[in-house]
Amino acid sequence: MTGRKRFNYKTKEGLQGYIFILPWIIGFIVFTAGPLLFSFAASFTNYNITSQMDFIGLKNYEKLFADDQLFWTSLYNTLYYVAFSVPITTVGAILLSALLNRDIPGMRFFRTIYYLPAVLSGVGVYLLWMQLLEPGTGLVNTVLAWFGIAGPNWLFDPAWAKPALIFMKLWSVGGGMLLYLASMQGISKSLYEAAEIDGANAWQQFIRITIPMITPVIFFDIVTSLIGGFQIFQEAYVMSNGEGGPVNSLLFYNLYMWKKAFEAFDMGYAMAMSWILFIIVFVLTIINLKLAPRWVHYEGGGK
Amino acid sequence: MRHLRWLSILFITVLVLSGCNGFTKGDSAAKDKGTAESDGKVVLDFWTFWGSEIRRPIVEKIVEDFNNSQDKIEVKHTFVPWGDIWTKELASIAAGSPPDVVINDINATALRGEKKQAENLSKYLEKDDISENFYEELWNATLYEGDSYGIPFNTDTRVLFYNKDAFREAGLDPEQPPKTWDELWEFAEKLDAKNGEKYERIGFYPLFGAGTDVWMLNADKVNFIDEKDEVKVNTPEKLDALKWLKSWHDKYGANTINSWQSQMESQQGNPFFSGDLGMLVQQPTFYTQIRDYAPDLNFGVALLPEKEPGNGNTSWGGGFVAEIPYGAKNPDESWEFIKYLTDQEAQEYWAVKNFDNVANKKAAESAADSEEFNDAAKTVYGLAVEAMPQTMLTPTPIVAPDFPTLINPEFDNVYLGKKTPEQALEDAEAKVQKLVDQNK
Amino acid sequence: MVKSAAPKHSHFDTIQGRRRALNIINWVLLAAGSLLVLSPLWWMIITSVKTMQEVMTYPPTLWPDSWNWSNYIRTWEAAPFDLYTINTLTITILVVIGNVFVNSFIAYGFAKVPFKGRNALFAVVLSTMMIPGFVTLIPQYVLFAKLQWLNTYFPLVVPAFFGSAFNIFLLRQFYMTIPDELIEAAKMEGASHFWIWWKIGLPLTKPALATVAIFSFNGAWNDFLGPLLYVNDENLYTLQLGLQVFKGQMSTQWNYLMAGSLLVLLPVILLFFFFQKYFIQGINLQSGGK
Repeated sequence: MTGRKRFNYKTKEGLQGYIFILPWIIGFIVFTAGPLLFSFAASFTNYNITSQMDFIGLKNYEKLFADDQLFWTSLYNTLYYVAFSVPITTVGAILLSALLNRDIPGMRFFRTIYYLPAVLSGVGVYLLWMQLLEPGTGLVNTVLAWFGIAGPNWLFDPAWAKPALIFMKLWSVGGGMLLYLASMQGISKSLYEAAEIDGANAWQQFIRITIPMITPVIFFDIVTSLIGGFQIFQEAYVMSNGEGGPVNSLLFYNLYMWKKAFEAFDMGYAMAMSWILFIIVFVLTIINLKLAPRWVHYEGGGK
Repeated sequence: MRHLRWLSILFITVLVLSGCNGFTKGDSAAKDKGTAESDGKVVLDFWTFWGSEIRRPIVEKIVEDFNNSQDKIEVKHTFVPWGDIWTKELASIAAGSPPDVVINDINATALRGEKKQAENLSKYLEKDDISENFYEELWNATLYEGDSYGIPFNTDTRVLFYNKDAFREAGLDPEQPPKTWDELWEFAEKLDAKNGEKYERIGFYPLFGAGTDVWMLNADKVNFIDEKDEVKVNTPEKLDALKWLKSWHDKYGANTINSWQSQMESQQGNPFFSGDLGMLVQQPTFYTQIRDYAPDLNFGVALLPEKEPGNGNTSWGGGFVAEIPYGAKNPDESWEFIKYLTDQEAQEYWAVKNFDNVANKKAAESAADSEEFNDAAKTVYGLAVEAMPQTMLTPTPIVAPDFPTLINPEFDNVYLGKKTPEQALEDAEAKVQKLVDQNK
Repeated sequence: MVKSAAPKHSHFDTIQGRRRALNIINWVLLAAGSLLVLSPLWWMIITSVKTMQEVMTYPPTLWPDSWNWSNYIRTWEAAPFDLYTINTLTITILVVIGNVFVNSFIAYGFAKVPFKGRNALFAVVLSTMMIPGFVTLIPQYVLFAKLQWLNTYFPLVVPAFFGSAFNIFLLRQFYMTIPDELIEAAKMEGASHFWIWWKIGLPLTKPALATVAIFSFNGAWNDFLGPLLYVNDENLYTLQLGLQVFKGQMSTQWNYLMAGSLLVLLPVILLFFFFQKYFIQGINLQSGGK
């Protein structure tokens, strides 16, 4: 009797689960699945958007791996960007939100100020940064000069162009900050009070209480900024005038793909590129998901 | 909770104000599309990227004049942002619902013809051959296998602007601009002004306002990939140009150049306006910036100097065509409008009001004498018209549309001192050749 | 950064004293950082009030010669920005409503309701973020054309009511932190998951919902590519499209562009400033729930 009842309940609960995710399933089938399948199928063709789409087997993929130097250049540039920008912005956002999570005067203003850069978006901002990174009279090098540092040539120097973009990304950590702030607000104050009585200093409290409690969001931030980092495009496009920067140092994966798709109209090739990127990011995400139980702490005990 | 109530009131207000605009396929939407008629007229969708306070009224006046000139066609102009307009056009062609006429880049016209993104205009040209109206170089850029896929609208070239006061100060004759590369160097040396290690005035730097390719074209008069799909990257003339450019780079040094270059690329602040730069290569329309932003500047213009006497003042330009996207619903009416747009009257109006170079030869020549221009404007415009026959385009080669991604880094390597000009050109040639072979 | 806190001075040896010292250091750090963060904004402001003639002078001036606030009026009049504001608000409000409720609903399912194939489906959710938009841009456009949705706001608004991977993932992470016992207890009393989601899930995740609301508002408000592609009629244009009139092929009207960008920025900033209190509310509820 009980077994059957349980079984019934489980089925019923499972059914509820599907109802919860039903909107997503409908949206996926109607809006997303078609274009995705199309781009997958077209990656085996010479699709050029308007006049041809002939099956050419694995030729696009073969050419990418065997015969395209720029593919490797763009992949290297993108890995470089992801490898530095993800950890730096994650740590930056956590530290910033820790500072912004205290109950002191003016906090609403500070939060707004730090969130501001995340609101500013688009081409105008990147053009603004070109001005700020100008090697001679730009604001960044002017400030560095006050501290006796001779600033680099940023966007004109192949060694500094990518760091310049990472630096710019750090400026707009406000988005990540917001996530951590929302998460930190959920941590019970009694935990800190207890630790304080035990004599833990601010740093110890941060490491032992704050960090573990926000691991679900750290995990989210790492996964999504990894995915987003691999897709860096607009800043590189604008700040290199669509060219890819000195010695192709800003030719990121998506920029190269864009050039193939919308300048050479070799859309089949671009679609093949996108699926290679997909596999790379997918594998990294799965690794992340597999490693998560070791360090992500869900208070709810859920998995 | 009070916030939520407040927000929902705001929301309802907004929806009422918008009148559910954007959610109905109402009258306005139906009228805009395809062959739908208003007053028995065919409505044409015309997309341009001319939305600025200056350009928009000019293009809309031309459209209005056209609409009033006949009673069968009504053109509706839509501004679509620069650059993105073509992504949108492409998507709409793929979906089979493109606009009727679009302004697009002249250099890729043949490529778009080959890819069936634009309609073949031959059948109209057989009836009305208007090809003679335009500069030959422009017309040729619209041809793919002998058929035209777009009609040239406006164009540009590169000329040398120089600061007459600075010339005088440096002991140069302000009426005698440099004619050759050697003179450019010589004049620049005289114009340079240094305070210790820091340049207060740079005489000239060839890559402000022009690319490496422009000087190579000026020297060689042959594109990187010629009409026969042969790769012409590593030629003696192009090598000379690269060496010459490198010597300029060494003269001023990377720090000085980068600082000034980024200033100009960010489209704010131009050292030429303040007299900190003696000479600058720019499009003729640069004159309007001088007029508006540095009205007191005493400047002159000259043809792009030649490599050596007798080599020719070959310059580089681009421009735009009016095209009918592939699959557009009203090609006959669109052709009528394009003809009007590129005919002398509309072209001259555009040329004078915008101070822009136009593709129609007669319009360009009569604009140069326009009464609306003052002396300075007349001088610049006249020189631009003079430069046009010597101006080359760089049509996108169908065999390797994206080849610049391969050669630009090689040029960068030269300026960074990582490769010799010889080595860089050799490598660039090999890479472009490989791409051409792959695509053939 | 925080480590340097807690000096060993006897005066600060009490918890109260240490707290105060920390707060002061914290405040100083934030104030110093604000200057860095705000300096690009300062650049925008001064550019917005300059004349174009001054914008084009070299080297650039850090303090404008004259403050032309009338630039803001001219900016607003350069295009029908009133109309664009209403259009943008219409889209944005609908997108925010869709995003907040639907994603929260979906995310609850992924976090707290066990069903077969949940992990695999969740992997698919994440996967949809990994394909660059360019390659699906054309097929998606063709799809919306087939649905007869071109030149309407449907392509911009309707997908928001069917969940977005980023927001589903984010809210799932927050639901995961709700103790299972809470939900079990409710289930014991015969509550369905729908009731639990509405009565427990939504209130407990208010800070996260506020975050999603802010992100969605920001995203829809600043969306450029969507309206660009799907709207043909200029009467349906949005603010971001309107701002493009200042950006030409050769030259940019920097003063108007910056003035326009600042005007467009203002509502988002105000919204954020006032919306913050939902974070604070979140604390009480959640710690009360524990």
